[in-house]
Amino acid sequence: MGMGDDSTMSNPTNDLNHGIDKQYLASPIKNLVDKYQLVPEFLKVRGLVKQHLDSFNYFVKTEIKKIVQANKEIRSILDPNIYLKYNDVHIGEPSIMVDGVTEKLNPQKCRLCDITYAAPIYVDIEYTTGSHGQISVQTKKNVTIGRMPVMLRSCCCVLYGKDEEELAKLGECPLDPGGYFVIKGTEKVILIQEQLSKNRIIIDTDKKGCVQASVTSSTEKTKSKTIVKMEKEKVYLELNMFKTKVPIMIVMKAMGMESDQEVVQMIGRDPRFSALLLPSIEECADLKVYTQHQALEFLESDKMLKMSSYSAGPVEKGARALSILRDIFLANVPVHQHNFRKKCIYVAVMMRRMMEAILNKDAMDDKDYVGNKRLELSGQLLSLLFEDLFKTMNDEARKIVDALLARPSRSSRLDISPLIAKDSITVGMERTLSTGNWDVKRFRMHRKGMTQVVARLSYIGSLGHMTKISPQFEKSRKVSGPRALQPSQWGMLCPCDTPEGEACGLVKNLALMTHVTTDEDEHPIMSLCYCLGVEDLEQLSAEELHMPSSYLIILNGLILGKHRSPQRFANAMRKLRRAGKIGEFISIFVNEKQRSVYIASDGGRVCRPLVIADKGVSRIKEQHMKELRDGVRNFDSFLRDGLIEYLDVNEENNSLIALYEKEATPETTHIEIEPFTILGVCAGLIPYPHHNQSPRNTYQCAMGKQAMGNIAYNQLSRMDTLIYLLVYPQRPLLTTRTIELVGYDKLGAGQNATVAVMSYSGYDIEDAIVMNKSSLDRGFGRCIVMKKYSATCLKYENNTSDRIIKPQRQGYEAERMQILDEDGLASPGEIIRPHDIYINKESPTVTRTPVSSPMSLPDSAYKPSRQTYKGPDGETPVVDRVALHSDKNNNLCIKFMIRHTRRPEIGDKFSSRHGQKGVCGTIVQQEDFPFSERGICPDLIMNPHGFPSRMTVGKMIELLGSKAGVSCGRFHYGSAFGEPSGHADTVDTISETLVKHGFSYNGKDFIYSGITGMPLQAYIFMGPIYYQKLKHMVLDKMHARGSGPRVMITRQPTEGRSRNGGLRVGEMERDCLIAYGASMLIYERLMISSDPFEVQVCRKCGLLGYYNYKLKTGICSMCKNGENISTMKLPYACKLLIQELQSMNIVPRLKLAEA
Amino acid sequence: MEGVSYQRFPRIKIREVKGDYMKFELRDTDASIANALRRVMIAEVPTIAIDLVEIEVNSSVLNDEFISHRLGLIPLTSERAMSMRFSRDCDACDGDGQCEYCSVEFYLRVKCLSDQTLDVTSKDLLSSDHTVVPVDYSDASSGFDNSTNKGIIIVKLRRGQELRLRAIARKGIAKDHAKWSPAATVTFMYEPDIYINEDMMETLTLEEKRELVDSSPTKVFGIDPENKVIVVDPEAYTYDDEVLKKCEAMGKPGLIEIHAKEDSFIFTVETTGAVKASQLVLNAIEVLKQKLDAVRLSDDTVEADDQFGELGAHMRGG
Repeated sequence: MGMGDDSTMSNPTNDLNHGIDKQYLASPIKNLVDKYQLVPEFLKVRGLVKQHLDSFNYFVKTEIKKIVQANKEIRSILDPNIYLKYNDVHIGEPSIMVDGVTEKLNPQKCRLCDITYAAPIYVDIEYTTGSHGQISVQTKKNVTIGRMPVMLRSCCCVLYGKDEEELAKLGECPLDPGGYFVIKGTEKVILIQEQLSKNRIIIDTDKKGCVQASVTSSTEKTKSKTIVKMEKEKVYLELNMFKTKVPIMIVMKAMGMESDQEVVQMIGRDPRFSALLLPSIEECADLKVYTQHQALEFLESDKMLKMSSYSAGPVEKGARALSILRDIFLANVPVHQHNFRKKCIYVAVMMRRMMEAILNKDAMDDKDYVGNKRLELSGQLLSLLFEDLFKTMNDEARKIVDALLARPSRSSRLDISPLIAKDSITVGMERTLSTGNWDVKRFRMHRKGMTQVVARLSYIGSLGHMTKISPQFEKSRKVSGPRALQPSQWGMLCPCDTPEGEACGLVKNLALMTHVTTDEDEHPIMSLCYCLGVEDLEQLSAEELHMPSSYLIILNGLILGKHRSPQRFANAMRKLRRAGKIGEFISIFVNEKQRSVYIASDGGRVCRPLVIADKGVSRIKEQHMKELRDGVRNFDSFLRDGLIEYLDVNEENNSLIALYEKEATPETTHIEIEPFTILGVCAGLIPYPHHNQSPRNTYQCAMGKQAMGNIAYNQLSRMDTLIYLLVYPQRPLLTTRTIELVGYDKLGAGQNATVAVMSYSGYDIEDAIVMNKSSLDRGFGRCIVMKKYSATCLKYENNTSDRIIKPQRQGYEAERMQILDEDGLASPGEIIRPHDIYINKESPTVTRTPVSSPMSLPDSAYKPSRQTYKGPDGETPVVDRVALHSDKNNNLCIKFMIRHTRRPEIGDKFSSRHGQKGVCGTIVQQEDFPFSERGICPDLIMNPHGFPSRMTVGKMIELLGSKAGVSCGRFHYGSAFGEPSGHADTVDTISETLVKHGFSYNGKDFIYSGITGMPLQAYIFMGPIYYQKLKHMVLDKMHARGSGPRVMITRQPTEGRSRNGGLRVGEMERDCLIAYGASMLIYERLMISSDPFEVQVCRKCGLLGYYNYKLKTGICSMCKNGENISTMKLPYACKLLIQELQSMNIVPRLKLAEA
Repeated sequence: MEGVSYQRFPRIKIREVKGDYMKFELRDTDASIANALRRVMIAEVPTIAIDLVEIEVNSSVLNDEFISHRLGLIPLTSERAMSMRFSRDCDACDGDGQCEYCSVEFYLRVKCLSDQTLDVTSKDLLSSDHTVVPVDYSDASSGFDNSTNKGIIIVKLRRGQELRLRAIARKGIAKDHAKWSPAATVTFMYEPDIYINEDMMETLTLEEKRELVDSSPTKVFGIDPENKVIVVDPEAYTYDDEVLKKCEAMGKPGLIEIHAKEDSFIFTVETTGAVKASQLVLNAIEVLKQKLDAVRLSDDTVEADDQFGELGAHMRGG
């Protein structure tokens, strides 16, 4: 590989096409090629959520077949002639069975009708019918065994490969990325799960500080964790099948490695290693274990082996220990015909790595290193779930067959085929996806919160949700390591987008160009490796293992053998990958420190595309980009022609990546496509993020998801529980490349407001903003809030059902039924007030016992069960839409969307794209607003104190850039790190534009006060900034109460706004009042305004009595008289406490004294 | 009343009138008067705008409030506005706001029957009063084909969608809602007084003069054929101080001196088309006078003195 072959490859074609001088092309020139066009091309080919889609597609196309293949037979235990065989499996088109008729589905229909978007799983089966000699084999094709929820835009989805117009016909937004499921009408996304990689040796320390090497093995059959650790200078094995730690030498001997010398050789002949191993060898000798037989006996003794299900019947001595060592201990290393050699070598390598770490702390593995992580995607999770459900179903079927066979008298012919056509898979899939709880007992997996409802607050919010990575660790741990920004995250995970607070740094988001790999078959790679000169492990002696000149070759954590010239081997492998002979996502990583070459083809690795450079010269030339522009090329052809390749985190360590072509040196192996792709979708919206203080970008990433705007093109036909929309959304004047790539310019969430940075009126302290009333009148910040209310017409057991009746037009109910149509439902367009009835429904009084004629009940047999609208006063909501559909029980469902248009008011929250949020402090008439001599009057005024401590220089540049943008009529750009590549306008050019249009170069204007007409003393920094309206509005939050509802048992005021609750005087407030001595105030707050209660207290016995209304005296039930009764006031809660204590046999007595 | 009279006699010199655009000088008065005029023009000159919408059928993509809001913001020709009554103090209809003295009725009935998207514009609004109609922006003087100019788009309809509504326009002022504002832009600037120290200027080389002239972001200065720096357009000066800073940097402070004339203002008025710019100024003066009258009405009463103190006496003095 090198410059030579590249030029010979490209030259002849050039000569033919353009006749360009051969010499000129052959010479390594550094022409700067704008590679930006590759990014949109990448996103066009792969989409924004390609990782989800790829994973699901892989599951549906490959994985599911593997699972079915692995469990292809159901064979009766009683009669082995009776069987059912799965020959093939595939997923059909999304559909639903309604009354025995198959109806095709599309996602929008599922959303609206609250059904699951699922496709049937078809299998081709071969099975036997009949029994006892008269068995005939039959085959059936396309038997449905269940319904698989289908990921939107995956290869099974009806939206797959559809263009914009076709999508519009299906009621789908073309900008919606897909990658989620529709389960019972709600959109669910399976979060990407972050895990430590499986089947890899990880060296770290345990709680006590002992160095250990651990492997989490995961195969189709078993999952186990093996730990080899150095404790008190001796090496032990920890495996949860054994009660205590096992001396490692015993394990080695049990595996047939009886010679201590060979073990030492395997670890390496370095005397330091031998010294470290010596105590372990001595311990083994002390235990008098010399042979394999002795070792196995030792392991099988009661004090070592856990009594488990393994003890099924008496077996040969030592067989159980051997089977544990074979199947559970390092399960990922296969053992063929009791040949434990590979496992011994694996243990030796583990020990060697551990000892290296003891001698040199640098050799310790970093658990937080992204290369040691794997991302688990929906496909993998679904395959686990499917495997479990499929196996369960097969087991059930077998049990039923056996039960039928065991029955002495059988009448009908035995047919297995109906046994598999059950809905256990359908129900299991649906339940798991809708609850998000993965309870797969077979794999000891109990995980909660794996799925979430797709955030549909804003377009960016839902996009960001698809790239979210949730951690596997518990959040409470007080270590900073996992939360810190890892250098290896570069380009793979967004450095900005993480939540604040509890999950800070643990929840991450993918960067723009990240790809997550799927599993790839390792057998071809394995044989290829052997062809390329890897010496098989079997043929190596222990001594040869760690020869100084050779490197170990490790494929997916499995030691294949060794190679004498690793660099040549790695180069050969890479060349094959670039030529497309092996998968493009296979990574080849030469680890010089560990003297091994790691080849990885497993799924869940993060990788990203990079331009290949030969001796620092990019392989992509202007001609390639031109071909791309002409549409001759696409991203895949770049990949195919070896101009671009995917690198994972590990392989990045073998390369020198230049940021720009001009910075490349002869050692450079790769060149970044575009630097802004290190950010994710949410951070990509920020203009000039590289000029901001870093936490500000993080804040904006969180706030961008709360901004109101357009959700999707189909937003008005969606029936979500809550939708926030902006009336006049705009695209930002200062855009970034990411904005254009993700479609934020089409579905914006904000408006370009002219902002003056000055102080005004004093109502702008603490980040409050002053707004121009005329701007608000004209529609700035105006938003629509839509809420869903639904009702169901139920059918009851006795065949009666709810009914919807005509509204009463006269009588005292008529007023509340004004908005009802003749069909008894609120009609769209009507203004709905609190207490208005929106569905005039009646339910039968008798629903259980059978009635004579359920369909024609008299009116008297119904009681009204109307639903009334309970909204806040002071709002004038409108019925927007009414939708009717039938749910899965064939009941009539009615959904109402209630819409309310709001204009901004004092207290509404706004934010720019730089983490600068603020509430509206006051609204001022336009004539009072400052103005410039051009007549420009700002839409809002922001206090300059927002700048010094926040250091959001990006916001200032945004203002300048937008101002230049409006003056010259061209959208300006502010992509991250975009100045050198021309994707961000520099301040210099912006200033030039400003001056050309008669503004000051620094963006400041000469401003007159609107109140006095006098010029202001200072020049004011003024220009447009893109402002977002956030979902937090006072109307939803403001709350006050005089008197109101009380809690039943304590008689104290209720809590919370939704229950019209009181405002609590808490203990701290109470303490203040006590300290101040305001006793009457405390008395009033804590007693009079809360739960005053009058009790009768007996002065003699101190117990509570009661008031006898007949005798008009208080009576003590203890003393049986009313002689010593006093009346007093105390909080009802106190009375309750006294009585509750009495019920527990504690007698609180009140001692009264004269006050 | 005795005492010195502070009365001044402001003068207006009109520079340019062009339908909805006007530029004039206001001299011999204070910033307070100039600003009062500006504020009145923006916020208190009445116009007519759609205030109440009754929607009969709306199957368009925009919801009722959305369309109502858009209708409200359409400028209507409001020459009648000054003589019209506010519906809140209309005797004819008891503040109902539905009579001919205080309201104008509009109808909009559109349905899209073709496959092409139909633009519903302000031209589709049918008025009951020919004097109050949506402002026509088609410029008759420009030679372009005016059939393409279709007014302000309210909503777009696709096949089968329909919009039928009745709207009532009323008189109002922009203090209540910006839709009643006749002004698109009303602004003024202080007239700059630019003084060039000719003697000092002579000490500069031509190169330095060019630099000085170019230092202003707007074209204020120029060089005449005799290589003298002259003031080309004093009003282009935006009080940016760039030239003064340049002089400072050249080590020649006082080379150019610029002051704002405290008593002369250059107004730029641009209207929405509801009234002519010239009419807007006249109406504003009228409104301003009425406001002063409202203050003056109570001059004889004793409260006036309490209310205005010395100012009351001043006002009585005229």
